Amino acid sequence: MSDPKKEGEGLKGAAFSGGKSSLETVLGFLKRTLAEGCFDALLLPVKAPGGDSFPYVLVQDKALLEDRGSPLPPIMPVQGGKAVSSLTRRGKAPRKVAALMRPCEVRATIELFKLAQVDLENIFLISIDCPGVLPVKDFAADPEKGMAAFGEVLEKWGDRKVRPVCQICHRFTAPLSDDGAGMVVDLHIGLLGIEDGEVLLIPYSPAGEEILAKLDLVPAAGGDILSAWRDRANELTKKRGEERRRAQEEMKSKVRGLNNLLETFDKCINCHNCMRVCPVCYCRLCYFDSEAVKHPPDDYLRRAGDWGSIRFLPDTILFQVGRMSHMSLSCVSCGTCEDACPMDIPVAQVFSLVADEAQEYFGYLPGRSTDEPIPLATYKEEELEEVEDAPQGASSETKEKDG
Amino acid sequence: MADKEYNPKIVGFLCNWCSYAGADLAGSSKLKMPPAISSIRVMCSSRVDPVLIVTAFLRGADGVLVAGCHPGDCHYEKGNYYARRRFALLRKVMETLDLEPERFRLSWISASEGPRFKEVVTEFTEHIKGLGPNPVKEKTSL
Ligand code: SF4
Ligand code: SF4
Ligand code: SF4
Repeated sequence: MSDPKKEGEGLKGAAFSGGKSSLETVLGFLKRTLAEGCFDALLLPVKAPGGDSFPYVLVQDKALLEDRGSPLPPIMPVQGGKAVSSLTRRGKAPRKVAALMRPCEVRATIELFKLAQVDLENIFLISIDCPGVLPVKDFAADPEKGMAAFGEVLEKWGDRKVRPVCQICHRFTAPLSDDGAGMVVDLHIGLLGIEDGEVLLIPYSPAGEEILAKLDLVPAAGGDILSAWRDRANELTKKRGEERRRAQEEMKSKVRGLNNLLETFDKCINCHNCMRVCPVCYCRLCYFDSEAVKHPPDDYLRRAGDWGSIRFLPDTILFQVGRMSHMSLSCVSCGTCEDACPMDIPVAQVFSLVADEAQEYFGYLPGRSTDEPIPLATYKEEELEEVEDAPQGASSETKEKDG
Repeated sequence: MADKEYNPKIVGFLCNWCSYAGADLAGSSKLKMPPAISSIRVMCSSRVDPVLIVTAFLRGADGVLVAGCHPGDCHYEKGNYYARRRFALLRKVMETLDLEPERFRLSWISASEGPRFKEVVTEFTEHIKGLGPNPVKEKTSL
């Protein structure tokens, strides 16, 4: 893994075609990378034999890749960051592996790298423009209908059928700035604004450039396709940013204050699925599953005595707010938690709202860089005076911080 | 919520090396202060996982004070710097969700600052009195 391009070099892209659809072209490209020995294996979503899911599969077999490789599946049953972490948590991959993921999955992978849960050596990261995914439950209920619905999603890039957090995702593509800063990735596959059947391959690291060179692909600066991609991506980013603000304001009015928060999580069955599937909740034993939150009967009876009653299972809100206080700075708004919630609680919408504010406060963006430490793992000697001796004289307004 | 003698419950997490000693000094110097605080001695302010603070609030604490050594004086060199970041995050989370972050206070109190301990406790108790009881006590579905 290498760092993003240095400032001023400018983005370059190589057009690639050959398939009937852009996704077929992506498969064609991946097949070539395997054939030319760029990588020893690919980690990507593959259509399950039953056609009803798309797990990550480590693929070396070109026929499997061709038949069932799914560079942009309609659902996200497993967060890619978790897949890369399962592969490399015990050490680096012994041979070269390219992992193809959506941008939020790449960002989670980078966070997991910083949390020492991913080894990036020998992992080549490929991201792809993402139109969002369908709620996993909708798809499981009727995969055929789901496939058709996702076809429409791919056409429109703004469909209401995708999950709520996808509808307001403003980081669905690679960095658009000339210096390429904003997400650590080796190669991005651009689909936006490009004719069907064609894709744009944009290297974001020296390793990405090497791979293109190996395949005799020459990325050009500027050019019609690159600017078409960039224009469309810019336009959509802006629109989504506005929608995000609007949706978050609305969510705030529903969730702010203890009463609203309690109501939002009233249905929670304490299954902790949301934590288990979350890529950045990586703890081997979550505090909220540990003995530390299991108390003797005395304790519960005393609490019931003090307040008149106590709910079982207890500590629903403690789990939610506690989890936020642990991992909000690394939350990538991927929506996996919400997909996994059996009670249809808008978990990811609430978490990403809290995460956005926390990340803005610390001037931190998960997945932006491998060098930038997660804010809780570092400090400055002089900072955050607003939290010292507050609340005396402190208002609730926030100050810009530069992490 | 005005009542004749509202005595708020405040949980104080005090670091062993500075603030707990400061509290001790305040006590042995017989400084007069409100009896609102229940102290919990911790080895370092960075030992206090934000979850413990949320726990205290959800169990009805009207206020939570975390006190540690002044920046630069941490017994473990940098624990309080990390703690400051964590609590800044916790405050931000509480603020975003409108969970009354003003019931939480972080202060630096050294072993020799008995009078400062008294001041902080007095000031914070008054502040919490102004806010009234933690509304969490009226909820049954926690
Ligand atoms: S909290 Fe939810 S949205 Fe955020 S990273 Fe975890 S699974 Fe994704
Ligand atoms: S909620 Fe906290 S303790 Fe539990 S897995 Fe997430 S980060 Fe770890
Ligand atoms: S997945 Fe849903 S029901 Fe389960 S603990 Fe999380 S919020 Fe509660």
